[in-house]
Amino acid sequence: MPFTAFILSVFFFAACAPFIHRALGDRTGKALACVPLVLFAYFASLLPAVSDGSGLLFSIGWVPIIDLDLNFFVDGLSLLFLLIISLIGTLVVLYAQAYLKGSAKLGRFYLALFIFMGAMLGVVSADNILALFVFWELTSISSYLLIGYYHEKENSRKAALQALLVTGTGGIVMLAGLILLGNAVGTYSISEMIAMNAGSLLLESGYYLPVLICLLIGAFTKSAQFPFHFWLPNAMEAPAPVSSFLHSATMVKAGVFLLARLFPILAVDPLWFWIVTPVGAMTLLTGVWLGMGQSDLKKILAYTTVAVLGTLVMLLGIGTELAVKAAMAYLLAHALYKGALFMASGAVDHESGCREVELLSGLRKVMPKTAIGAGLAALSMCGIPLLLGFLGKEYFYKAILEAEIWGMLWLVVAVGGSVLMFALAVTAGIRPYWGRYIETPKHAHDGPWTLWIGPIVLGGLGLALAFIPGWVSNGIIGPATRGVIGDPLLEVAPLVYPKYIDQALLLSILTVILGIVVFLLGKQFRGAKSLYQRLAAVGPEAIYFAKLKGMLATASWQTHLFQHGRLRYYVMTIALFAMALIALAAYPARHLFELPALTPIGIPEMMVCIVIIGATFLAVMVKSRLAAIAALGVVGLGIALLFLIFSAIDLALTQVLVETLAVILFVLAFFRLPKFTTFSKPWTIVRDTLIATVFGIFMGGLALFAYGTNFFDPISSYFAEFSYTEAYGRNVVNVILVDFRAIDTLGELVVLAIAAVGVFALLKLVIKPVDKENK
Amino acid sequence: MIRESIILNSTTRFLITLLIMFSFYLLLRGHNLPGGGFVGGLVGGASFALYGIAFGVQAARNAVFLSPPQMIGWGLIAALLSGLPALLSNKPFLTGWWYHELSVPIIEKFNTPLLFDIGVYLIVAGVTLNIIFALAEADLQEN
Repeated sequence: MPFTAFILSVFFFAACAPFIHRALGDRTGKALACVPLVLFAYFASLLPAVSDGSGLLFSIGWVPIIDLDLNFFVDGLSLLFLLIISLIGTLVVLYAQAYLKGSAKLGRFYLALFIFMGAMLGVVSADNILALFVFWELTSISSYLLIGYYHEKENSRKAALQALLVTGTGGIVMLAGLILLGNAVGTYSISEMIAMNAGSLLLESGYYLPVLICLLIGAFTKSAQFPFHFWLPNAMEAPAPVSSFLHSATMVKAGVFLLARLFPILAVDPLWFWIVTPVGAMTLLTGVWLGMGQSDLKKILAYTTVAVLGTLVMLLGIGTELAVKAAMAYLLAHALYKGALFMASGAVDHESGCREVELLSGLRKVMPKTAIGAGLAALSMCGIPLLLGFLGKEYFYKAILEAEIWGMLWLVVAVGGSVLMFALAVTAGIRPYWGRYIETPKHAHDGPWTLWIGPIVLGGLGLALAFIPGWVSNGIIGPATRGVIGDPLLEVAPLVYPKYIDQALLLSILTVILGIVVFLLGKQFRGAKSLYQRLAAVGPEAIYFAKLKGMLATASWQTHLFQHGRLRYYVMTIALFAMALIALAAYPARHLFELPALTPIGIPEMMVCIVIIGATFLAVMVKSRLAAIAALGVVGLGIALLFLIFSAIDLALTQVLVETLAVILFVLAFFRLPKFTTFSKPWTIVRDTLIATVFGIFMGGLALFAYGTNFFDPISSYFAEFSYTEAYGRNVVNVILVDFRAIDTLGELVVLAIAAVGVFALLKLVIKPVDKENK
Repeated sequence: MIRESIILNSTTRFLITLLIMFSFYLLLRGHNLPGGGFVGGLVGGASFALYGIAFGVQAARNAVFLSPPQMIGWGLIAALLSGLPALLSNKPFLTGWWYHELSVPIIEKFNTPLLFDIGVYLIVAGVTLNIIFALAEADLQEN
């Protein structure tokens, strides 16, 4: 229970954020930062419980009838993510206050940020895969709001929409995969799936391939894998706190998390390796290659994030114990250094007004604290010994060396990627701060402590944790590895520094040497704009834009086709479609139909029916609108009479009242209608008569058919029996409305309320003449 | 479009009280006898529409202490609130809750379905009036 309360409290504080901002103003960030800080402390307190084997399960019922429970499952893997999210969350909440100082939208920003944080915590700890999906989508939606923070800028809006569309499309495909998975293995609970070794069950069920592909598409879109990588660099339109939180350590890692979480279930066939590893490798190369062409600090970092995500996916694809351990170590190191670098680049942008690497130099003289944090982070990213990044890369190489199939290829990819990554780390994390100082658009200085504490803490942690590799591997990396592999008893060897020169260390040294060379050539890459432009023209993003255009064109075409604005054709379309659908559904069941034994028609009913039919003909034929309305009134009241004869008093009462109100509405609308004229040509009248007659016969037949067939026992007897005993009401109609089916009624009430708003808006709408200059 | 008519005005003045009382009566007896929130709401809405036809929309608006959108809002709140007591006793949302100790005329027992029905009444009346008033006012604007 406490765990559930902690997770849900984040959403509570999200709702409070705008009010807190109104009350506290500039101190909001410091106050709100306490929330993730407390969470971090709580998660840290779970470390001992989780590190000695199986995970913890926290349970609360939600929609039990469809197995949708709000269960949280925390093992080493979840906890690694929970700690990263809450730690970086704390720093980002502090940082955002300084970065977005004085913005009136800050309250809303914190609202979206906290929803995102809560959703992200939910993604990594949800036990039910449907709950996981809900949290997953919530991260997409809140990230849309966060990326589009500067909504007055067109680029921001475009980038936010792009991120939403790409990850949202992937999310829907993933939902299909999750449901298929749940049905195939018979449970929606992740902990149960892992415990009962659901992987082999999935293989036997024959649904392995579709499940794998659907889930991979979800994970790949979220984690910006090739060919879906383009949205991530574009999302750099977001303010720096968002980039440091979402695009370094948390949201983009959700896809990696999903792969790791479902690793024991999905990685049971060679197909896993053959899809996941090449995609990861391709992403790694794409990321570093495109990153080399960038000169904007944030874009460089974004592309290296793409590359790192590729690395992690590649390692999970290889899937040996060593590879999984390497992935976890790499993931932790990356979360720390990338968060620090994003915050530092944001601080530089904020204080100097410039993000171009060519124009930034020697900033350590004016921003020493930011420079220290960024420098430590960049060294970790380079993989320099005695920093966490070194361990990550060391084990990355070890795992690749161990890969059996096509090992040489992966090795070349890994070393090539790391070399370019080294060069990019130096470009983004060290170059701006060293060398001769160049004056920037704004005179830079370190800014308030909240602006540089993030890089210092995260960069410092990258250094500090590297000194206690034993503790890190026993406390965090080991349990996480066990969680991924799904074996609570697995002995994971701790991370150690190399004691003698082995292949991996040699490769690391080679990486550093080549990295320095590539860094010195960096300007050539950044200068080759035309090459990159030509590549972009055929890249996946071009396909995205083509598809987006196609979708809009299709939507426009089909809206014009169906929403033509002519009421008479609307009615005709509805009637024809209804008939087609009914025929389609009823035809296979035609043998079930037998004409029911009907009670003979008495004189009173007969007379009422004759009046109704006569009035209907009158309504259609008369040349005066008033007469037509009166005739329709007769039809309505005739039906009310029929209800009365069959003692459905409630229905009769309602019918009479609706008729009355209809008359009032007609009266009000009467004078607004144009002169009554006949537009129809003779043949259209014939056609409409034909359709109307057939439709009438159809509906009549349907009523008889429904009466004459009983697929299920009618529920009316249940209502009649229990109306008084259970619901204490003798009026069954009312009891159904307000008690048995109250939730349906509630839904209808909401629809009614929305309809009223719509009608009101339409009636009050005043169309202003369009200004031609604006158009 | 509205012309003063002495017959309509004086009849309405006389009828309106009866109509509204009748609508409440329909609402309250609905659980056991024909009636209920929907029908009651229609009668309530229609009676103020009549008032509007007789004395003008503004007069009708003044006569109801809630504006139609407010009626819709309060109706939704009442319907939602009626579902909450069930949650306290760990039953599904909207399960009826009855107070059997006390018997009163017409409604007989206090219960949450009645509160739900009051919500239905307010929403139906609110929606009806919202549309009718808006239509009538649009009419006035054009003429």
